Amino acid sequence: MKRKLDLPLTITLSALALFVFIPMLSAFEFSIRTPAKGGYGWDQYLWAIREEEFFYYIIRSGWLAAVTVLITLIVLVPTMTWLHLSKSTIRPFVDGISLLPLVIPVVAFAVGAQISFPEFVQDTVLELPFLYFVLALPYAYRTLDIGLNSIPLKTLTEAARSAGANWWRTIITVIIPVIKSAVVGTVAITFALSLGEYTLTVLLHWDTFPTWVTFVAQENILGAIAISMMSLIIPFLVLTAVTLVSPERSTQGRK
Amino acid sequence: MSSKSLTLRNISKRFGNVNALNNFNLEVGVGELVALLGPSGCGKTTALRVVAGLEHQDTGSVLVGDRDISQTPAHKRNMGMVFQAYSLFPNLTVEENVAFGLQMRKVSKHVRLKKAHELLDLVGLDSQSKRFTHQLSGGQQQRVALARALAFEPEILLLDEPLSALDAQVRVNLREEIRRLQLSLGTTTLFVTHDQEEAMALSDRVGVMNNGVLEQIETPDTLYNKPATSFVASFVGTMNRIPAQLIDGHVQLFGKKIPVLRNGNESGNVVALVRPESIAIKSTESDANAKVLTRLFMGASSNIVCQTKDGTVIQSLMSSAESGDLHPGSAVKLEVTNREVLISNA
Amino acid sequence: MTPNVIEGGAPSRGRASLTSFLKNVAPALPLLAIIGYFFLFPIGRLIYVSFMSNENTFTLDNFRTTMQEPYRSGFINSIKIGLFSAAIAALPGAIAAYFIESRGPVKLRRTISVMSGVLANTGGVPLAFMFYAALGIQGQLTKVLKFFGWDIYAGRFSLATFLGLLIVYLYFQLPLMVIVFSPAIVALRREWSEAARNLGASQLNYWIKIGIPLLFPSFIASFLLLFASGFSAYATANALTIGDIALTPLQIGGLLDGNVSAAQLNLGKALGVVMIVISAFAVIPYLAIQRRSARWQKQ
Repeated sequence: MKRKLDLPLTITLSALALFVFIPMLSAFEFSIRTPAKGGYGWDQYLWAIREEEFFYYIIRSGWLAAVTVLITLIVLVPTMTWLHLSKSTIRPFVDGISLLPLVIPVVAFAVGAQISFPEFVQDTVLELPFLYFVLALPYAYRTLDIGLNSIPLKTLTEAARSAGANWWRTIITVIIPVIKSAVVGTVAITFALSLGEYTLTVLLHWDTFPTWVTFVAQENILGAIAISMMSLIIPFLVLTAVTLVSPERSTQGRK
Repeated sequence: MSSKSLTLRNISKRFGNVNALNNFNLEVGVGELVALLGPSGCGKTTALRVVAGLEHQDTGSVLVGDRDISQTPAHKRNMGMVFQAYSLFPNLTVEENVAFGLQMRKVSKHVRLKKAHELLDLVGLDSQSKRFTHQLSGGQQQRVALARALAFEPEILLLDEPLSALDAQVRVNLREEIRRLQLSLGTTTLFVTHDQEEAMALSDRVGVMNNGVLEQIETPDTLYNKPATSFVASFVGTMNRIPAQLIDGHVQLFGKKIPVLRNGNESGNVVALVRPESIAIKSTESDANAKVLTRLFMGASSNIVCQTKDGTVIQSLMSSAESGDLHPGSAVKLEVTNREVLISNA
Repeated sequence: MTPNVIEGGAPSRGRASLTSFLKNVAPALPLLAIIGYFFLFPIGRLIYVSFMSNENTFTLDNFRTTMQEPYRSGFINSIKIGLFSAAIAALPGAIAAYFIESRGPVKLRRTISVMSGVLANTGGVPLAFMFYAALGIQGQLTKVLKFFGWDIYAGRFSLATFLGLLIVYLYFQLPLMVIVFSPAIVALRREWSEAARNLGASQLNYWIKIGIPLLFPSFIASFLLLFASGFSAYATANALTIGDIALTPLQIGGLLDGNVSAAQLNLGKALGVVMIVISAFAVIPYLAIQRRSARWQKQ
C-alpha cells in the first residue's frame, strides 16, 4: 500500500532471523576454525570432501532418495489421476489411508518394521525406499491432490483420449506437464525427506548419509559439524533456487 | 436514516505509475442509482472503493450530503457495500451476517435479529436464516449480501459488480430485485459494472469511464442516442463503423450527403458511426450497393449482416417480418436513416 | 493398467458386481499393496506382538510394564515436552505466519516457505551441533550473555536437561507451526475484513468477531500437530542427552539396540503401541479439524 516500512513485519522477520541464524552461524564459525594453525580456514570442509566415505554415503543416500521419488511418481501419479477422474467409491478410503503415516510416530514404525520383513530384504533397495515412500506419503499425496484439483482434469483427459492417446501417453504427455509445479513439489518433499531421514534408518541399523555423520562426530567433531553445515545449506539453496525460478500460479482466483 | 447525495470532487489516485483515477468528478443525487460502466482497468472499482474508504485518494474529496468524509475511516462512513463474491462471513449464520452491521452499531440482539429477518424476507431468504454461507448458492449469497448491506439503513449503497460472478438467468432476476429494493428504499446508490446491458437496464444515469476519466454521464437513452465520444459510442450498444470522407461538414454515405453531428478535430478520412437500427435495407437488383452475408433471426427482430463493395461489413437491425425475403447473397441497397451522423477519426 | 474411466453405461446385475468392483478398485491396488505391506503390516505386527509373552502366549504384561517406572516417567516427560514445546512455539509461530503471509511480498513468502520446510526437518546431530555452538558451555551466545552479566551455566542448566531440550525443540517446532498454520491465514479473504470495515467494525472488532473465530480451530489443530511432533521426536533427544532423561522414544531406541533382558523382549512393542495411541489422540483431531476448516478455506 504505502512505501513506508512495515514495522510489525520487519520486527517479526528480524526476530525470526535472529532465532534461526544464531545457532547456524555459531556452528558455521566452529566449522571454519583451524585449531592447529589458529585463525580460520576451510580445512574441515576440505577434509570432509576428501574423505572417501563422504561421496560414498552421499551417493548412497541420493540413490535411495531417487528410488523413493521414482516409486512415488510411478505409483501415485497414475493412481491419483484415476481416483480423481473415476469418482471411485474407494477414494475417501485412499485419501484417509494416505494420512495414516502422520498418526504413527516414526519410532513406533521402526519397531514394527524391524520385526516384519525377511532378512534378505533389509537394508537394500527393496525395503528402504518403500519405507521412505510411506513416510513421505501424507505430504506427497496432498501436494499431488491439490495439483490435480486445480486443473480441468476431466476435460484434458477426454481431449487427449479423443485425439487418440492411450492411458499412459495421456498421463505422461498431457497431465504431468500441466501439474508440473505439484510434481516438482512432490519430488522435492520426497527427496528431501528421504535424504534426511535419520530415525528410522538409525534404529534399524542401516547406513546412510545422516547416520554416517553421527558416526563421524565421534571421531572428528569439527569435521562432522562441517558436514552438517553442508547438509543444511545445500538443500536449502537448491530448494530456494528451484522455488524462486519456477513461476507459481496463485490457486486462489483473485481478480 | 434517510439517504443523502454523494459527491466526488477532483479525485485522483495512482497505483505505482498507473493513474487509476484522474481528476474524477461525480455527483449522485438523493435516491438516484448511478452506474459506473467501463472495461477492466478503467478506474470504476477504484472510484467505488475510494467512496467506501477502502482506498485512500491522493487528492480530492468525497462528500455525503454536505459532510466531507474524505478523511473519515471506512468503518465510520455508514455506507452499505456489496462485493462481487465471497464476502459473507463463513463463521456466522445468514441472519447473523445480515445483523452484523447493526451489531456493530450496538443494537440489541432482539432488535437486530428482527430487522435482519425483515430484510431477509424482502429478498425472499427468510427460510435460510439459520444456514451458513457454504450451504447457499451464488445467487442466494448475493441476496444475503444485499440484505446485509441494507440492514442498518445506510445513507449510500455501493455495489461492486455484484452480478458478475453469477449465472445469466440468476443475474437477470437479481438485477430486477436490486432495482426494486433500491427504488422502494430510496437509497442513493453507486453501481459498478462492465456489463453495459446491465447498466442501461438498471440505472437512472450511466457514467461511462475509460482510463480513469469519466467520458460521459447521462440517462441511458441519451447515452445510447447521443454518445459524446467514439469510445462511448462503441462501448454502449453495437455501432457500425463506415469509412467516409469528411468534406465541408458532411459525409457521403450510400449516395446520401449527411451532415455530421460534431466537428471536433476530425478531418479527411473519418469513420461514420451508425446504429444498426438506423440502416435501412431494400431488396433490389438495379441500384444495389451491398450484398447480404447472413441473416440472424432473433425472434421479433433480425440482424442482417451485409458487405459493401469495398468490403465494409454492416449490420442492420430490422423487424423479422420485413426482412423475410433477404437471404445470403441477396443484392440490397443500404441507406442511412439518420438526419445527422456521428463521426470519429479513422 | 488400462482402466476405462470415460466409458459409461450400467452393467447388468450379478456378474457385473465383480467387474464393477474390479473397475472401482483395481487401479488403486499397486498403491494399496505397497501401503499394506510396508505400512499396515508392520503396524499390525507391532500390535500383535505387543500382546505376546516370551513364550508366545497372550499377555498384558508388556503393557503393565509400560505403566511402571522408568517407562511411566518416560511417557510423562515425552508428553510434557510435546505440550510445552507446542505451547511455546504456537503463538509466536502463528503471529509470524500472519505477518509473513498477509504482508510479505511474494518472493519473501516463498523463500520463507522453503526455509521453514528445511528447518522443520532439522534435527538430530546437526541441530545438536548448532546449539552446542551457540549455547553450549563454549558457545558463542553463552559468551555474549556472560559478557552482559548472565551466566546461564551458573545453575544446573545444560542443553542435556529438560529445559535445554525444550529450547532446542523450538528450533524445528516454530517453523513447523509456520508451515501448518499458514494455509489458514492465506484462506482469510480480503473481502471479509473489507466487508467488516464497511459494516462498521474497527480492526479489533473484525479480529474478535470474524478473524480469530475463523483461525482458532486451525490454531488448535496446528498445536495438536506440534504436540505430536515434539512427543515423537527421537533424533534430537538422542543427540543431546546421554540417557539420563527418561523419554519414550529414547527408551524404545534402547530396547531396539539388542541389549534387552529376557523380560523385556516385547516391551518395546508395547511402548510403541502406547506411543501410537497417544499420538493418535492428537493427530486424529488435527485431521478432523482441518477437514472442517476446508469448508470455508476452499471457497
